[in-house]
Amino acid sequence: MSETETGTETGTDIVAEHPGETLEQHEQRMHEIAPRPELLPMLPGEIKPHPKPRDYVLIAVVLCILTAIEVGLYYLEGDVNDNLLIAMLIVLAVVKFFLVCSWYMHMRTDQPFFKRIFVVGIVLAMIVYGIAIATFASTIPSEL
Amino acid sequence: MAQAIAAPSDSTELVPAAGDHGHAHHATNTGVSNAKLGMWVFLSSEALFFGAFISTYFLYRGRDEEVGNPGPRPREVYDIAFTSVTSFVLLMSSLTMVLALAAIQRGDHRRLRIWLLATAFFGMVFIGGQVFEFTEFYREGLSLHTNLFGSTFFTLTGLHGAHVTMGIIWLLVLWGRSMQGRLHTEHAEAIEISGLYWHFVDVVWIVIFTAIYLVPQN
Amino acid sequence: MTTVEEAVTQAPVERARIVGRPTSSTGFWSWFTTVDHKKIAIMYGTTAIFFFLVGGVEALLIRIQLASPNNSFLDANQYNQMFTMHGTTMVFLMGMPIAAAFGNYFLPLMVGARDVAFPRLNMLGYWIFLFGGIFLYSSFLLGGAPNGGWVNYAPINSTPMADGFLPGRGPDFWAVGIIMLGIGSVATAVNFIVTALNMRAPGMTLMRMPVFVWMMLVVAFLTLFAMPPVTAALIQVYIDRNFDGNFFNAAMGGEPILYQHLFWIFGHPEVYILILPGMGIVSEILPVFSRKPLFGYAVVVFSGIAIGFLGWGVWAHHMFTSGIGPVAVAAFGLSTMLIAVPTGVKIFNWLGTVWGGAVRLRTPMLFALGFIAQFTIGGLSGVMHAIVPADTQQHDTYFVVAHFHYVLFGGLVFALFGGFYYWWPKIFGRMMNEKLGKVQFWLLVIGFNLTFFPMHFLGLEGQPRRTYTYDEGLQWEGLNQLATLGSFTIALAFLVFLVNAFMSRYSPPAPSDPWDGRTIEWMTPSPPPEYNFAQVPVIEHRDEFWHRKYTEDDEGRLLRLPAGAAVDTEEHEHLEADGHGIHMPSPSYWPFVFALALPILGYGFVFKNWYILAAGVVVGFFGLVAWALEPATAEDEGDDSGAGPGGGHLASAAVEGGARSRPIVDEGVH
Repeated sequence: MSETETGTETGTDIVAEHPGETLEQHEQRMHEIAPRPELLPMLPGEIKPHPKPRDYVLIAVVLCILTAIEVGLYYLEGDVNDNLLIAMLIVLAVVKFFLVCSWYMHMRTDQPFFKRIFVVGIVLAMIVYGIAIATFASTIPSEL
Repeated sequence: MAQAIAAPSDSTELVPAAGDHGHAHHATNTGVSNAKLGMWVFLSSEALFFGAFISTYFLYRGRDEEVGNPGPRPREVYDIAFTSVTSFVLLMSSLTMVLALAAIQRGDHRRLRIWLLATAFFGMVFIGGQVFEFTEFYREGLSLHTNLFGSTFFTLTGLHGAHVTMGIIWLLVLWGRSMQGRLHTEHAEAIEISGLYWHFVDVVWIVIFTAIYLVPQN
Repeated sequence: MTTVEEAVTQAPVERARIVGRPTSSTGFWSWFTTVDHKKIAIMYGTTAIFFFLVGGVEALLIRIQLASPNNSFLDANQYNQMFTMHGTTMVFLMGMPIAAAFGNYFLPLMVGARDVAFPRLNMLGYWIFLFGGIFLYSSFLLGGAPNGGWVNYAPINSTPMADGFLPGRGPDFWAVGIIMLGIGSVATAVNFIVTALNMRAPGMTLMRMPVFVWMMLVVAFLTLFAMPPVTAALIQVYIDRNFDGNFFNAAMGGEPILYQHLFWIFGHPEVYILILPGMGIVSEILPVFSRKPLFGYAVVVFSGIAIGFLGWGVWAHHMFTSGIGPVAVAAFGLSTMLIAVPTGVKIFNWLGTVWGGAVRLRTPMLFALGFIAQFTIGGLSGVMHAIVPADTQQHDTYFVVAHFHYVLFGGLVFALFGGFYYWWPKIFGRMMNEKLGKVQFWLLVIGFNLTFFPMHFLGLEGQPRRTYTYDEGLQWEGLNQLATLGSFTIALAFLVFLVNAFMSRYSPPAPSDPWDGRTIEWMTPSPPPEYNFAQVPVIEHRDEFWHRKYTEDDEGRLLRLPAGAAVDTEEHEHLEADGHGIHMPSPSYWPFVFALALPILGYGFVFKNWYILAAGVVVGFFGLVAWALEPATAEDEGDDSGAGPGGGHLASAAVEGGARSRPIVDEGVH
């Protein structure tokens, strides 16, 4: 089975046969031929289809806003209690972390098996390094 | 038919083979492809790698002041506005990466190449920013030797930068394959796997950016 | 359709490369390009045995030095290099790779796969191991081997060379070499995990997997998570030494204890990385030679997993004397006692397996039983270390040396020899000599106990480890001489093994199932063909092969099923006559090239030479990109120009029929 035939069958690999067209023509043709985003084929290991590009952009906007808040918080240093600032920064970083993992790394739509393996690594890291750091707290005089 | 008995995965480690039409996963026990599972397993190992350096940074945070080590302190060298911009660029490269994936899944190979190049370009902007930052800090008197902050900061961010650099090379190899016409719609998974690595490097930076740049220092 | 035709005719031109794809699977050069898991396993095993010999010679030199008080056979620096390289070799160049050898050979065979999940990554793992070993040993010629102990503790190893704490570049070689070997180990671990989870034969659920496969899976996860912390610690040591960093520089507020934490977060799981494959091998041997299924399979598996989990919570028991505080010491003492529970459970399960069985005391069985006895002694002295005041007394004495040699030599090495005798006929198609095997076993038991049992007493009397000599009049001479005598007995036993291995070339061909085995690797001919199974078997039982050979009558007595029901010799002959009927991954140059870049980079880092570093980067980049652009199977390259999906040689009718009649069933982890 040839590349061309594969392409025709599934409505893909169309670019290869139109090397000369401009981007506008290409987009026009894509708009006509390409399957709608909701028809995206599922990749191995998925239990739900991937998000649509619109969702990706939406998440990016949220990530931008969160980053802006983070940087804004930085400039509040001194005006607000440090512990409060640290708590808010940690919450924001965790939210960003989860957004990227669940939407961009597709943990929402993939088999939970992947997520579990990754979570094992993260949790293990937090536990062993947390304990290691904690042992220093008890041995070092608090004010050196 | 042939797939049912072809036990070794047809997909390679870094870029699934030209001949892999994405069917290999049908023959696996978990129903997921070997390559994607392998990447997740590897990423969970990386979590412990970066965890070690981040923990080291936290252990030594503020200690320069306590023991009276020579200068510069973090707040004296950081340019938060500049680093915010490069961090923002890296964050946006994650968006272009998923758009590249969406493009190849739709069979839109032209967009795929545009987004791949955009992602690699954003990565290079980030690395360029890091190189600039490093030289700037060094000029202001901070080196691996100066104090604990110097040792921990350069090591942690430098190793992260090395990971971004590997990612850029990977993206460019994929782009080259696509240009050769050897990256078909069936290889969407190759883009997804490189994307997993790229997003992981991005989330590590989310943690680093907050932990070492933004959190108030004494 | 002209484009297609053009593509077909032009395809070979398009694919022309600087270097063609390697094709041969026989001959000298094929060993450099092979991706066959069995060939890679043999290379792992051979190289590891070579390093085993080297590490053994180092041990003998140590024993000669300690045979008499104030001996000047070795000077202090030479002695330091010997014990450092002995430990490093036995852990990183013998223990881990030999487990990788067994895992490589038998993990795919036991789960019914044709190869590992990533054949070229597998190949990369081996070459990194070989080059890493050569890199470490080249230090002897380049200014002195590592001499700061196999733990490479800070600050003695992290202080810059100019300050003269340790002569030579040893610690740099150690740090860079172990990082290198770690990369290979993680690659192999990823491979084993994906193979065991993803590539089992139809019907082989997780709870039908042989215990050896289970243990290798646990080991792979441990390796995966244990290598990064030590890599991080060694990067920090490297920066401290070469760029005057402050990570472990106490004068600048650095914490040498941080190194101990990072090292032992790796180091303790490493102990289980070394011993669990041995436990897996023993769990395969005992049922076969007792003609009984493994007693409490599920319990053995779960206690293996429990050991893997708990192994992460005990690392600080190596640091009881470093002042980590009473709370931490008490907590880690408790967790250390706890981990003895799953280990004890396993020992009782093995005893339960042998109990009441039709025991045949063949050589593999002898080694397995020797494992149980001696590992138990090592386990008991290990529990003694959980008692903190006792541990404080025993710390860094020969008592500790005795303890871990009972676990790793009396345990692991006995299991490995058992594995060699057990699987030798499968791997090489020849039996090993039973008499020589028994001679070796008894020599090893005597020599081993003679060497290491006196060390318990020496330790309790206070002889410190890592010290190159001792004074007269301490009453240590007798026991040390006994230990030296024992060590030469061990060397003799090893020699007997080598003779036996070599002589096996002349023994008659082994049948495919010489021991009346239980697991499916015995269903293949000896040695197995490149594709392992002509037809991938469908698994219906734990101990599948046994159930294909035997059934029970109404009163529960074993009945042998008619011969020929199990071994699919016919198809093999058919396929071999056919040439190659099965789609196998093709050999490749690139993992070798990429692995070659690592020692070049390593020398660049050790000598801080930008030209060498640049050369390493170029070689590595070239290898990596060429690898990334190369399809897994040569036949698949045809796909670009329309050879059809699946590519390659299609299966013969018999195999196709087999595949159809036994559909792949997706089950297992979801």
